[in-house]
Amino acid sequence: MTVRRDDNGVIVLEGVCPVEDAEPLLQMLQAMPTADIDWQACHQLHTAVLQLVLASGRIPIGPCGDAWVAQWLAPKLTQNEAAR
Amino acid sequence: MSALQEQFVTEARELISQATDDLIVLERDGASPERIDRVFRAFHTLKGSAGVVELPAMSIMLHAAEDLLASVRQGAIESGPDMIDAALACLDQVSRWVDDFEATGALPAQAGEDGRILAERLRSFLPAAAGQQPPAPAAWPSTPGKVETLPKWVARMIASERDAMAARMPKRASAAFAISYQPIAGCFYNGDDPLQLMRQVPDLLAFHIEPREGFALLVDIDPYACNLRLRAISVGGRDEIAKIFRLVPDQVQITGIPLDALAAIAPAVNDADQSLIRAVIEAQCELLRVSDRTDDFAGCTGAAARVATNALRHANRPQLADRVQRAGATVLTQHDARPLLTALEQVLVALADSPTTIAADVDGPGTAAASTTERPVERVLRVSEAKIEALVNLAGELVVAKNALAHSARRVEQDFAGQEVARSIRRDHDAIDRLVAELHGTILQLRMVPVTQVFRSLHRLVRDVSRQLGKDVGLVASGETAEADKTIVDRLFEPLVHLVRNAVDHGIESPTQRRIAGKPETATISIEASRIGDRFLIEVSDDGRGIDPVVVRRKASEKGLVPVDELTALTDERVIDLVFAPGFSTAAEVSDISGRGIGMDVVRTVIEQIGGRVSLASRVGTGTTVRLDLPMTIAMSRIMVVEAGGQLFGISMEAVSETVRVTPDRVSRIKNNEGFVLRERVVPIVSLAELMNLPERTKEATVARLFVVIEAAGRIAAFEVDAIRDRLDVVLKPMQGLLESARGYAGTTLLGDGQVLLVLDMKELLP
Repeated sequence: MTVRRDDNGVIVLEGVCPVEDAEPLLQMLQAMPTADIDWQACHQLHTAVLQLVLASGRIPIGPCGDAWVAQWLAPKLTQNEAAR
Repeated sequence: MSALQEQFVTEARELISQATDDLIVLERDGASPERIDRVFRAFHTLKGSAGVVELPAMSIMLHAAEDLLASVRQGAIESGPDMIDAALACLDQVSRWVDDFEATGALPAQAGEDGRILAERLRSFLPAAAGQQPPAPAAWPSTPGKVETLPKWVARMIASERDAMAARMPKRASAAFAISYQPIAGCFYNGDDPLQLMRQVPDLLAFHIEPREGFALLVDIDPYACNLRLRAISVGGRDEIAKIFRLVPDQVQITGIPLDALAAIAPAVNDADQSLIRAVIEAQCELLRVSDRTDDFAGCTGAAARVATNALRHANRPQLADRVQRAGATVLTQHDARPLLTALEQVLVALADSPTTIAADVDGPGTAAASTTERPVERVLRVSEAKIEALVNLAGELVVAKNALAHSARRVEQDFAGQEVARSIRRDHDAIDRLVAELHGTILQLRMVPVTQVFRSLHRLVRDVSRQLGKDVGLVASGETAEADKTIVDRLFEPLVHLVRNAVDHGIESPTQRRIAGKPETATISIEASRIGDRFLIEVSDDGRGIDPVVVRRKASEKGLVPVDELTALTDERVIDLVFAPGFSTAAEVSDISGRGIGMDVVRTVIEQIGGRVSLASRVGTGTTVRLDLPMTIAMSRIMVVEAGGQLFGISMEAVSETVRVTPDRVSRIKNNEGFVLRERVVPIVSLAELMNLPERTKEATVARLFVVIEAAGRIAAFEVDAIRDRLDVVLKPMQGLLESARGYAGTTLLGDGQVLLVLDMKELLP
């Protein structure tokens, strides 16, 4: 399992997050509507997992460990937040 | 089996049949890009679904097929009959595996090995080098000179990320491409990771990801349905980009962006801006028209050219801007404002003509687009046959229940003298009658299916059999969309296979024989379905050697099918009809294709079972036509099987009002006739055995007698029978030949044990 909840109630994505992680991540997002997401330790994100992060509307605690996502996506997430 | 697995089985079968179809067309009509794309997509989807239900052997084999097709699509290799054979063999294997998977939930033990062998066979067609490395990028279809529409989002993206893009822009970029990738919702199930594809795009300038249709609330979201749209601008090579997306060509659109457009693109131009720009340019035209009267000619025209140029650049029209700029320079050197005025007027026309397109013929690279034409999606609702069957039965019951209303009306009138009430009930009965008839008709329509599916499989059959026999045969099918009841269409498959097989095997000559006979070497078998009134006709014709009555006569007498004296008396047409006789086969040798002497009689039996007729016309040297005349719907009749005088008869249930057992003491004799009283009515007795001239069973004084009471057209009678056997739903075949005019018979039907059952028309038999 590369999705877990840490002691501070943060949803942590770690290592390689494959498509199978989408289901447990969704369950956690549903169960903890205000929990933060931390993706600093995640090296590679599957689209399905990313889609849920986007859908949750939460700004993950970064920088994202997946360099490509950090470069191309993370700036926009913060921009969107600023726009709100 | 889970719902996912069930869906896999259904879809896989559809894909297999579609791919088989397309492969055969591809072989016959050549490999057009669309056709190869279709086949490729079918294999690709099959592979993806095999991955989802975890059938690695199937995935690996299909992967090899996919590679092969990709090479054909690029034009790296040509498709040929042997390659098509291999691809078809691959589909056959998948089809068998799907059957196994459905039956046992797994593939057979040797699946891995079988798959490996087939994969090797498929790979053997690949050029040696391509066997190891992934196929080169597909050549995207391009239409030079065609005006390419630059998607609106490109301008938006450039506008919002201009600085970042400028920073990333390499110095020596030669072309830029806009990539719009909309993965299908089920792409995760196909094993796709859209982000992973995007990561591979070289020289990315900008990237954006957004929901295709706003995200649902977290409680409603389906984590495995992809609802994303990924867009990017890259200055990498088109081929390289195309290669990355080669497995999802239907989901991605790659558009060339002229580099100057990229450099000069300004904030998005909307319609309001467009009209503003027109106004600006019109104002410059006005200014130029009066400019020769002003002193500052150079300043005036120079300003006009500058304003117009800037406006056009702002409007994302760099080519037009350049043109105006050039005209402005000419004007200054020649001291004549007219060239600039003309240029601006032309610009106004161009703006009016193509408000948002860029003429792609202006600049070299980036003129080709890989876009998919939107196919209208046919929405089909899959309903299990059992449910439709239940509906049909319910509608049938409703008909019976409705009929009871008529009886009620009569009873109210007779027994309670309630004419008013009876009339009211009759009115209601009539209304319900209409509705029920309509409902019944509509429900029967649900069972109507086109013969497309059956015809499809014949293409494959003709191809395989003719290849096996070294004959060259084309199948022309028409009227596939004609519809008939599913039961009929389903039953048609076997007879049509026999007919087509027979035509290829016996009817069609070898290419040499055909050449000698002065016929084209490629023979044609045509199969045509049509609707005439309430009949459904199918004709199977070939242009082969025809059936020779002389040969048939000889065979028939050799096999002793018909006594010799009878045979000589038969006309040629009747003789040819003997090919339908059981045990007749004209093939000199028994082959494994046909000629086991069972084909044609099976055809006749099956067609007659579904209430149809088979006829055959043939001319020696010209060909043979077999005509199947079928009912469009199977009119099922519910019958009661009774025994009388040691024989079985069918009685239509519609006519039966009840069955009763009456003790002999209740039967009284009135003159010559017997009768008994049933609910205050005298019911005359008719012995069915006597009516049919059969020996009557001796009646014992103590045993109750069995009657079937028939009531129709105001008359009533009790038919005495020895026993009541079954109640059956059957297809009635009308009486034919000599018996056609015989009264009292509704028709015949075949019983499960092959016995012919006479079904009586009780209304006619009523005394």
